[in-house]
Amino acid sequence: MAARNSPVRYGWVAQSLHWVVVALLVVQVTLGKVADSLPVGLERLIMMSRHKSFGITILGLAVIRLAWRWFDPPPPTPPMPRWQEIAARLNHWCLYVLLFALPVTGWLMSSAANRPASWFGLAQLPDFVAPDEGLEETFETAHEFLVNVLFVLAGLHVAAALKHQFLDRDGLLLRMLPGRTP
Amino acid sequence: MILRALALALLLCPAALAGPREADASSGKLEFSATQADAKFSGAFKRFHVKLDFDPATPAQGRLDVTVEAASIDTKDSERDEILRGPDFFAATKYPQAEYHATRFERAGPGWRADGELTIRGVKKPVPVSFTLVPAGGATVMKGTASLKRLEFGLGRGEWASTEWVGDAVDVRFELKLSPAG
Repeated sequence: MAARNSPVRYGWVAQSLHWVVVALLVVQVTLGKVADSLPVGLERLIMMSRHKSFGITILGLAVIRLAWRWFDPPPPTPPMPRWQEIAARLNHWCLYVLLFALPVTGWLMSSAANRPASWFGLAQLPDFVAPDEGLEETFETAHEFLVNVLFVLAGLHVAAALKHQFLDRDGLLLRMLPGRTP
Repeated sequence: MILRALALALLLCPAALAGPREADASSGKLEFSATQADAKFSGAFKRFHVKLDFDPATPAQGRLDVTVEAASIDTKDSERDEILRGPDFFAATKYPQAEYHATRFERAGPGWRADGELTIRGVKKPVPVSFTLVPAGGATVMKGTASLKRLEFGLGRGEWASTEWVGDAVDVRFELKLSPAG
């Protein structure tokens, strides 16, 4: 499989970035939900710390993904009604925005809570806002709202991909899966 | 010119430094930095009293007495503050005050080093404090630092005794405007 995209299939770089981010998002949502359900204590601190490290990783990968997308534009979409094409494009860009907005609101929330984030103990992130519990609430509300938006948009994204693959039978899903380069 | 400066220094210095001087939270700050989940954060004590009776000409007769209200700890995170005031850290109901007393002073660089003893949770340990004294009008600005290991004072019991997620080292810094004790 080629590193770069072909007219009918994503290359392995774009595919790896896509699926690694999917896996990290699953881990991330799980860590966040589990940490949220724990009482204040060491276990919660550990979970939140990992949640922050994975969040920073996702932010870094989002930057790389955008850069790669610019360098290696995606293959053209299979034929479909105009409204579907617009909807798909809009949904993709919203998902990209979320890949930035979720980590950034989490980061700001950490700083406002005076619990700065560290990336796996290797580097501490700078704080762009001063500690402020009111501000923390605001970012927390935003962070949680954005997670729900992610659920809806990622759900639409998956549903649309499955519809193309199994109802329209246009092979759209295969574009994001390993295989022989046609 | 030099003579005049000398005369001025002689006039000002004893006036600025001799006799007991004191400060509290309204005229200074007492802060610390600690590490949580590999990230450094800062906190402060909001109620404390500092009394310094120190004449640089006769350091052997000097005396520094500090009392800090343990419950006044403020890390801009009410959940963390509650744990810090609680039985696993300061146990503020049982040990409401931390104290520092020094009667030995030595020249150290541009300032001084006090070799005193710090008591937290009823545990007394020697802790050196470095400080400088600078006259400022009728007051004296006392600025300094100290380093301690939280576990030596029993700060962090049970799950918090591990240093993997909460560092042992705590850096203390203060800046006080000392006025003549009234």
